[in-house]
Amino acid sequence: MLPQRMKKAVTDNPKKLANLIDLVNLPSTLRDFVGQSQTSRLSCFMRVWSYIKTNNLQDPNNKNVVNCDEKLKGILLGKPQVDLAELPALIKLHFPKEPK
Amino acid sequence: MGKIPPSFRSALSNPNLIHRSSSLIPSSPKPHHFPNKTRKPHQKQQQSQSQSQSPKPVSVFKSPNLQEAKSIFNSFVNSSNAPIDSRFHNSLLQSYASISTINDSIAFLRHMTKTHPSFSPDKSTYHILLTHCCKSTDSKYSTLSLIHQTLNLMVSDGISPDKGTVDLAVRSLCTADRVDDAVELIKELSSKHCSPDIYSYNFLVKNLCKSRTLSLVYAFIDEMRTKFDVKPNLVTYTILIDNVCNTKNLREATRLVDILEEEGFKPDCFLYNTIMKGYCMLSRGSEAIEVYNRMKEKGVEPDLITYNTLIFGLSKSGRVSEAKKLLRVMAEKGHFPDEVTYTSLMNGMCRKGETLAALALLEEMEMKGCSPNTCTYNTLLHGLCKSRMFDKAMELYGAMKSDGLKLDMASYATFVRALCSVGRVADAYEVFDYAVESKSLSDVAAYSTLESTLKWFKKAKEEGLKF
Repeated sequence: MLPQRMKKAVTDNPKKLANLIDLVNLPSTLRDFVGQSQTSRLSCFMRVWSYIKTNNLQDPNNKNVVNCDEKLKGILLGKPQVDLAELPALIKLHFPKEPK
Repeated sequence: MGKIPPSFRSALSNPNLIHRSSSLIPSSPKPHHFPNKTRKPHQKQQQSQSQSQSPKPVSVFKSPNLQEAKSIFNSFVNSSNAPIDSRFHNSLLQSYASISTINDSIAFLRHMTKTHPSFSPDKSTYHILLTHCCKSTDSKYSTLSLIHQTLNLMVSDGISPDKGTVDLAVRSLCTADRVDDAVELIKELSSKHCSPDIYSYNFLVKNLCKSRTLSLVYAFIDEMRTKFDVKPNLVTYTILIDNVCNTKNLREATRLVDILEEEGFKPDCFLYNTIMKGYCMLSRGSEAIEVYNRMKEKGVEPDLITYNTLIFGLSKSGRVSEAKKLLRVMAEKGHFPDEVTYTSLMNGMCRKGETLAALALLEEMEMKGCSPNTCTYNTLLHGLCKSRMFDKAMELYGAMKSDGLKLDMASYATFVRALCSVGRVADAYEVFDYAVESKSLSDVAAYSTLESTLKWFKKAKEEGLKF
C-alpha cells in the first residue's frame, strides 16, 4: 500500500520529481565540491549533508546551526554560519529553473 | 467534513491500518472459504506439475536452439540405462520450454515421441505447453492462436481438455495480465469441451473486477449463466461486493445482497465482514453497527475480523467509547484482541486527543502478550506529534529505531513537521536520515517532505505566524 501511495505522489507531480532527480551540469564552484560534473539536486543535498556530518560541522551548542568551513563557504554564499533549515533552499540556488 | 490539514488527512486514510484490517479479512486463518478453496485446485495442478518438474535437471538446456536440444535429448536416451518414464520427458520439455519458443517446444515434443515411441504424451505434457503459451506476454505471441494450436494438438492426440486444463489456462493468462484472452478462452472451452469449475470462474471474476468495469463483469457473469449454465455462488457475490465496497458503491452492495438472498444464498460471516468494511471505510459507523446487529439476528456468529473491522470503523468515525465497549464484548465471546484491534483503537483515541490513554493501551497490550507492530508505533507517533508531546514522541521514536521499525509516510511527515515547528531542525534531519537508512521511504519522498516542510515554515515565519 505504502509504495503505491508514494508512487502516486511521485507520479502526481512528475515535474517536481524531475526537478529533483534529473542530472544537471554543475557550475564550477559546485563541481569542485561534489567531484563530479553532473549530479541531481537530491544527491547534491545528500552529499553536502553527509559532508556536514562527517566533518562534525554542526555547532555543538546549537545543532540547528552549521559552522561552515572554507569548502562549505564556497558553495553556500560564503556565509560563516548556516541554519540547517535553509540548507535545501541554499542548495537549490545552484539549480536554477531551466528557462523554457 | 470541512477543511482538514494535510497531515491529518493522511491519518484519516491511514494506509496501513485500512490495509491491515482489509487484508486480514481475506487472509484470515478462520473458516473463510474462498481464499483457501479457490486456491485448492491450483495447488493440485501445481502439484501434478511440480511432480513432473521435481526431477528437473538443472539447466540442461543452455540455448533455445532446437538442434542442440535434440542432440542433448538423444545423448540422454543413449547414455541412460534406467527405464525412462514420461515424467522424465515432461521435465525435459518443461525446462526446454522455459527458455525456448512454443513452436520449438512443440517440435521438440514431436522429436521425443518419434525417437522414443514408448513415450506417449499425457495430459500434463500438454499442460506444460499450455502454461507456456499462456504466460508469454510477447506481443508477437500474445494472441490466442498459439493456445489454439496447443489445444488442437492435445485434442488430436485424444486428450480432451478438462476442468484442470481450463483452470490452468485461466490462471496463467490472468497472471500474465491477459484477462481479455482468458475471458475469450473460457467461453470457447465451455462451448467446445468443458465448462470451468467454480474456482477458476471465481478467480477470473476476481481478476476482471480488478481491471475492468463493473458492467463488463456483469455481462460476463450473465453470459456464463445463460450460455453455459455456470452460476455465481456465494463466493462470487462476496468478490463482487468487496469490489463495489472498495469503490465506495454501497448502494450496489446492498442490491447485490438482495439478489443473492433471492437466489437462495445465506450471507455468511465473511460476507457480512466485507459489507461492514465497506461502511467502515466511509466512516459510516451507524450502518456498520446495523450490519453487526443484522448478523446477530440471523444467527451468524461474528469472528475476530468482525470485531476488528467494527472497532476500526467506530474509531474512525470518532465513537471511541463504543469501540472500547466492543473490546470487552469480544473478550467475553472468547476472541482475543490482536495488534490490529489495539492499533485501531489507539488510532481512534489519538484522534480524540486521548493520546496518553492510547499510550497506556500500548502497555496494556504488551502485558497481555500481544506485541505491537510497525503500524501501532506509527499510529502512536503520529498521535503524540499531533498532541505536541515531543519528548514522549522522541522516546517512542527511539524505541522504534532500536527495533529497526520502519516509519510510514504519514507519521514521518507529521513527525518532521512537529520537530520543525518547535525549531528542532537538527532532530528533523536525524529523522530524515533514519527514514532513508531504514529504507522506510525513498530518498525522493523523504527529502521532498523535509524540503517542503522547511520551506513552509520559513514562509510562515516571514508572515509572522505563530505555532
